[in-house]
Amino acid sequence: MYGGGYIFDEPDKRQLKEEQLHDDPEKLVEFEARIARGEKIEPGDWMPSEYRRQLIRLIEQHAHSEIIGALPEGTWITRAPGFKRKLALIAKVQDEIGHGQLLYNAAETLGKSREAMINDLLSGKSKYSNVFNYPAETWADVTVIGFLIDAAAIVNQVANAKGSYGPYCRALERICYEESFHLKQGHDAFIELATGTPAQRAMVQDALNRWWQPIMHFFGPPDKNSVHSEKLMQWKVKMASNDDMRNQFLDAYVPKIWDLGLSLPDENLKKDPVTGKWCYSDPDWDLFKKVINGGGPCNKERLDVRKWAEEHGRWVRKALMNPAEKTTAPVA
Amino acid sequence: MDNQSLDPRVKRLKLNTGGEPVTVHEGENWNVFEVFHQEKRGAHHEHVGCVHAPNAQLALVFAKEQFARRKKCVNLWVVRSADILSFDTEDEDMFANNLDKTYRDASGFKVMEKINKFKKSTHDKE
Amino acid sequence: MTRNEAISQMLTAMADDALIQGHRNSEWTGLGPIMEEDIAFSSMAQDKIGHAWALYRILHENLGGTEPDRFAFLRGEKDYRCCHLVEMPNGEYDFSLVRHFLFDHAEAVRWEHLQQSTFEPLALTARKLKGEIKYHTLHANAWITQLCRAGEESYARMQSALNVCFPLALGIFEPSPEAETLLVNEKIYAGEATLKEQWLDRTYNILSVAGLNLPSEGSVTPAYGGRKGYHTEYLQPLLDEMGYVFRLDPEAVW
Repeated sequence: MYGGGYIFDEPDKRQLKEEQLHDDPEKLVEFEARIARGEKIEPGDWMPSEYRRQLIRLIEQHAHSEIIGALPEGTWITRAPGFKRKLALIAKVQDEIGHGQLLYNAAETLGKSREAMINDLLSGKSKYSNVFNYPAETWADVTVIGFLIDAAAIVNQVANAKGSYGPYCRALERICYEESFHLKQGHDAFIELATGTPAQRAMVQDALNRWWQPIMHFFGPPDKNSVHSEKLMQWKVKMASNDDMRNQFLDAYVPKIWDLGLSLPDENLKKDPVTGKWCYSDPDWDLFKKVINGGGPCNKERLDVRKWAEEHGRWVRKALMNPAEKTTAPVA
Repeated sequence: MDNQSLDPRVKRLKLNTGGEPVTVHEGENWNVFEVFHQEKRGAHHEHVGCVHAPNAQLALVFAKEQFARRKKCVNLWVVRSADILSFDTEDEDMFANNLDKTYRDASGFKVMEKINKFKKSTHDKE
Repeated sequence: MTRNEAISQMLTAMADDALIQGHRNSEWTGLGPIMEEDIAFSSMAQDKIGHAWALYRILHENLGGTEPDRFAFLRGEKDYRCCHLVEMPNGEYDFSLVRHFLFDHAEAVRWEHLQQSTFEPLALTARKLKGEIKYHTLHANAWITQLCRAGEESYARMQSALNVCFPLALGIFEPSPEAETLLVNEKIYAGEATLKEQWLDRTYNILSVAGLNLPSEGSVTPAYGGRKGYHTEYLQPLLDEMGYVFRLDPEAVW
């Protein structure tokens, strides 16, 4: 699961110029025409260096989000109540790892090794979805994540699946299919609590209250603050604007929450009957930036856990590694 | 030192919380094998993705759960990515179908036209 | 002891083994040595928990036992019948792999016999699980043989994990004479001694390829007690954790 929006960085101006000097203008025209015709770009194709750089960044951060995303929900694997919930949760967290695997492979076709991507995650150089820097405090949190964050991720991923890079689209096709299972199991567990005992309802309401702001952050800052995306939209790297995706999410899911008699912690949340757009209070965007830059409640723990996993798995990987062998990238 | 994780699994781990860098070395995630999936007997094996593995035996073991834990499957192939030979994508023009080569195509042979012409001519003679 | 009591006793032990082993293995989900293995190991954890669920359902539906969720998540520690091997914390991956190897071969031998059981629900389940268990042993064999031939450190880790696991694994075959005699006579299963001999043969074949030395049975003390309700210090905390949410309100639906 992943949220878009803030993932594209502004290229270093000087570096960009130099890279663009090497981009053959004729090939660029051909490349852009291919995308305009709705054709996919494949790993061996010529592509502008900026397209490659932004795609690596996008897919890599998506992959990191999957393996880091496995941690907040993993928090409840050993405590899930009953066989059905226990099995579904393990299977779901397993899928997130599987998605990470597919996405790292897709990014590798662009020339960055899996090891290099993992190192950039561990060093903090490369980011992941901000929402996973919050703790899953109760069982109800798992249901809110499974239902609403997966739903938000689907909005983003369905859009990205129509993008221009073949390997990323193919990975997303499978991922979206599995996410629909996640959403369903999350929704089911969420409804069980929402329609359950008063204590269960209170539990899920409390989780909603705590997760609402991170969910509003999920799609990234408002469009008016991210003006550098025209090129990326033309190249079909970025497929939908942050505000559009947020609106699409609110439109589909707020009524489902209200239907259950639950509330959301925003008095201004309502649909404008004229424009059809949702109105809401701006979430705290300074907090958003602070959390991205390491200041969230769980940033450190998430990376410490990943470091533990890499360090404790190292002997297994090293034992079977063949240093003489040249490693290759996936072909497609 | 005890960490304060809410995850009991994590709480049991001895996390190194000192912030020392951890680096994974190139090649540590092994090599890449392409995976081909056969959905049912009689069907082609189709490419579905790849796995990182130290050798073909483990590649197959891994492929089974990564690519067949949900989807219907009766068999899998794995092959080292390095062993796959393909054309350059810019040579796609070699594959362009020349519309003139109608002799390769059923539509290039107008049998009915000839039969009808023949029937018409014999009919006209009568 | 009646026939059904004897069957219930055996099924409870099998199911508790599978549940606790699956639970332990699921602790690796998201934390494994490499993503591909993480996924494979997690699938097998799910399979184990699934096997336990299937057995608890037989207990419930055919033998008048308690509803599976309540039985699995809410019993007191003394009422569990799992062996000590599965209770042990995961430790490092070497321990988890060797435990998986020893445990899954024991499962494979047991379930193969049960395909011919005269207790039909069990024979049916045995036939259904066959393929899953085959993958589990294939996975374990690949890892054991490869890691043992992958340099000194790796070999030494596997040998010392085997030394720790072997006496614990013998506890899988802890005899329960009264029930066993009855079950063997009724052709419901083959008896622990028979299963153990076959297990030793099978694992020996792989261990010799791997170059690992199995401690001699006489030199170790089998970790018995689990089948009678005596457990290691690790089971109670595991059960507290597993039942934590369920116990918030055992009458609620989760």
